[in-house]
Amino acid sequence: MTSLPVTSNTSGKTRGAFLLDRGVGPLLVLPATILVVIFLVGPFYYMVYTALTDLSFADATRKGAFVGFDNFRRLMRDDPLFWNSFLLTLKFVVVAVAMEFVIGFALALLIFKYVVRQRLLTTLLLIPMMLAPVAVGLIWRLLLQGDFGMVIYYLRAVGLLAQNAAVLSQPDLVFPAIVAIDIWQWTPFVTLVMLAGLMSLPRSPFEAAMMDGAGPLRIFLDVMLPLLRPIIALVLLLRGIDAFKEFDKVFIMTGGGPGTLTELVSIYAYRVNFRNWDLGYGAAVAFMVYLVVLILCSVFYKAVYWSAKPSSGLPAGAKP
Amino acid sequence: MIDRAASRPWTAFAWAVLLVAVVVALTPYLWIVLASFKTRVDLFSSAPKWLFSPTFANYPAVFIGKEYWPLAINSLIISLSSTALCILIGAPAAYVFARADFPGKEDLFFFFLTTRMAPPISIAVPLFLFFTSLGLIDTIYAVVIAHTSFNLSLVVWMMRGFFAEIPKEIDEAAVMDGRSRLGAFVFIIAPLAAPGIAATAVLCFILSWNEFLYAFILVAFEGRPLTVGIPGLVTPHGTLWGQVAAVAVVATLPILIFTFLVQRQLVRGLTFGAVKG
Amino acid sequence: MGIVFDGISKVFPDGTAALHGLDLAFDTGEFIVLLGPSGSGKTTACRVLAGLEHPTGGRILVDGKDVTDLPPRFRGMGMVFQNYALYSHKSVYENIAYPLRVRKMAGTEIDRSVRNMADLLQIGRYLARKPSQLSGGQAQRVAVARALVWQPDICLMDEPLSNLDALLRLHMRTELKRLHRELKKTFVFVTHDQEEAMTLATRVAVLRDGRLVQFDEPKTVYRRPASRFVAEFMGRPAMNTFEGMLYAGMFRAGDIACAAPGIPDGPVVLGIRPEQVEIVDSSAADAVRFEVDVMELVEPDVLVFVRSGTSSMIVRTPNDDRTFAHGEPLFLRFPPAALHAFDAVTGARLT
Repeated sequence: MTSLPVTSNTSGKTRGAFLLDRGVGPLLVLPATILVVIFLVGPFYYMVYTALTDLSFADATRKGAFVGFDNFRRLMRDDPLFWNSFLLTLKFVVVAVAMEFVIGFALALLIFKYVVRQRLLTTLLLIPMMLAPVAVGLIWRLLLQGDFGMVIYYLRAVGLLAQNAAVLSQPDLVFPAIVAIDIWQWTPFVTLVMLAGLMSLPRSPFEAAMMDGAGPLRIFLDVMLPLLRPIIALVLLLRGIDAFKEFDKVFIMTGGGPGTLTELVSIYAYRVNFRNWDLGYGAAVAFMVYLVVLILCSVFYKAVYWSAKPSSGLPAGAKP
Repeated sequence: MIDRAASRPWTAFAWAVLLVAVVVALTPYLWIVLASFKTRVDLFSSAPKWLFSPTFANYPAVFIGKEYWPLAINSLIISLSSTALCILIGAPAAYVFARADFPGKEDLFFFFLTTRMAPPISIAVPLFLFFTSLGLIDTIYAVVIAHTSFNLSLVVWMMRGFFAEIPKEIDEAAVMDGRSRLGAFVFIIAPLAAPGIAATAVLCFILSWNEFLYAFILVAFEGRPLTVGIPGLVTPHGTLWGQVAAVAVVATLPILIFTFLVQRQLVRGLTFGAVKG
Repeated sequence: MGIVFDGISKVFPDGTAALHGLDLAFDTGEFIVLLGPSGSGKTTACRVLAGLEHPTGGRILVDGKDVTDLPPRFRGMGMVFQNYALYSHKSVYENIAYPLRVRKMAGTEIDRSVRNMADLLQIGRYLARKPSQLSGGQAQRVAVARALVWQPDICLMDEPLSNLDALLRLHMRTELKRLHRELKKTFVFVTHDQEEAMTLATRVAVLRDGRLVQFDEPKTVYRRPASRFVAEFMGRPAMNTFEGMLYAGMFRAGDIACAAPGIPDGPVVLGIRPEQVEIVDSSAADAVRFEVDVMELVEPDVLVFVRSGTSSMIVRTPNDDRTFAHGEPLFLRFPPAALHAFDAVTGARLT
């Protein structure tokens, strides 16, 4: 078959557009890539490098000599504080995210089923998650002040709190308190995402299940949960990654204390680096945090692509 | 869906639960707004005071003749310039990700996501050393660059969705009409995506304004934004909570108003385009 | 006995009224087609019967029992949806088995029923697949199998064929007819396609603007349409209609004049089906002169579009290789027995 003469007339222009697609396309991505490489990837490799040295700003004799895996050895074997903070962070992530999911999903279901005009309600629920974490920390410090905190007063009034104490300096209360505050701030996020997910579900499988004779519980278990699975995975992973990185709120509220009772791994990394100025070892700690997040992140990516539909704005046929 | 015609007692129960949720979500913030209008005496009353005669002294006390006004200006400069940079650099990249095809595209796209997910504490340490050696530590530039870098992936991921929603035929029509691909993007596609760009910009602004850790590590004195400055008001003893509250309100209220403007796109932005709000 | 729509009304929360006091009753074992253009309320009627919508007025009776407030799962009806509504996360087998699992049937029993149903619909080979791996026609069969596997007394079908391509649609139509004959269940079938209605139904209920306009056997609906609307809706190409005056057995509309005995005097709409118009010689006594506009070949027939003054009409005649040139005069005769007369204002049938 021969090409139509018309094509050859415009081929100059077509080739130009084609070149733009193949050559200039990547060029438009380049500035963004360079910026990210210099200021985010560069630091990552610098961190890996630093982790293999003995650099310290607190000790003039340690100028950054190469020490191999000494820092990691110390991290794995001789640092109970690190493992304490690591396990504490895992506990924080699991408890907070699980509670946020259960409460947030329940609220989303209620809104979905019983509220027709949802705009005002969702707007009000947005407020906690959009506050700066620093502000959230301060607000809760004020609310949990021992002698005049509003929340303390009401907790005591209903008998949930025995003594007139500052919750954030009580060893047995401080961890539940920071978990509760994270739940307070981020449950609305789960609610909003799950609500968006519920609204996007097709109607017909539910009607089909009703016609097939399924009751409300079976419809929930057999139809709704499977259809929501990608969105549930998304919400859990996003929250999990974020909670694992948690720093601001807790740092403002407790600074990791009392003692190390709320010293999440980010706060521990901060302390090693910017209080002890033990930068070589600090980099090793930071690397461990990064590693966990990276693992969660690749799971997230798989989950997102798993749920990808042409309508979701993500590439449908892209290979994971 | 799923018969909305529900029975009355269940509706009442649902509304009761939702009412409690809203009260729990709102009261803490409401309390700090009230606190910003309270005198010392009202603040330190052991029984919470919901009704009191308001004072307006806390606001001038922190914003006139004190260091907090410059901090607010710093916050504004950091957020505005990092947002502008993000959009300028990120939107073309997002457009390319939405339209063009080149080897390694999807890997590069995922790479942007990983940068977003990186824990700030891990990046902040080397960045601190890096900016120290560049002599940029303790300057506003350091924070602007850091914020631009970490918000960039958000722009790329969010905007790709907005561009993908514009039919490819519109680009093709523009190209057939004699525009270059770049011209089609600048003059045809970008205006069409304007609402999406605006929403993305607002979200970038909010995230930059609210950011704490990078700023905290990169600028200790000069160029501090509000988030870094506020905690300094809290001292172990004799904290002026009225003033803390006033600064906190000033630091959060504009953001909440912005939030309401982009509410529809918010869920989408915070889930990196995976869920439409 | 059977199924009764007793004055069913439906107004949606947004204010649109889909049904205005629909009255309809039919026996079990029938193949009922709800036919109407979009917005006629046919789908709403089907969904109200299913229990997926609650009517704002009226009652639904099944075998004399009021089921209006009964949730769908207690009504004993299966349903095939327009977009199939298969469970995308379940295999074909599990899709078909689901109604049985919900009813806690024993495993062996389920297996037997599913395989029987799959064989009946010739989808036995696809039982292990996921719905996304099926073609439209296969998905359609799975949907039908799922609706019928638990032996419901009534099977509802909401435009089940409209997402299939033309050839497959014809094929499935025949299958459904065979299925109805073999299972002897009540089928309620919603469609906007008059051809499907004609071929499938034991009786057709024609709906318009939320009201029943005619309920009859297909041939009656075609031959004695109850109104001008039904006359024009049934049959492709549509019935030719002329608005004119009738006086002393003579009908006049513009240049057209023809005998129309037995119809009262006054303004009237006269209709005749394209295939009942006769082409005659210019010498014939009651010939009306038209001019040929366009002709279309619809083998084995030919459609001739003709004009006279402001009136135009279509004639359908067997193709005998005669050509009809543009502008050529054509003399037509309207046999009085083939004429339909409708009220000029209400559109109701006059004879």
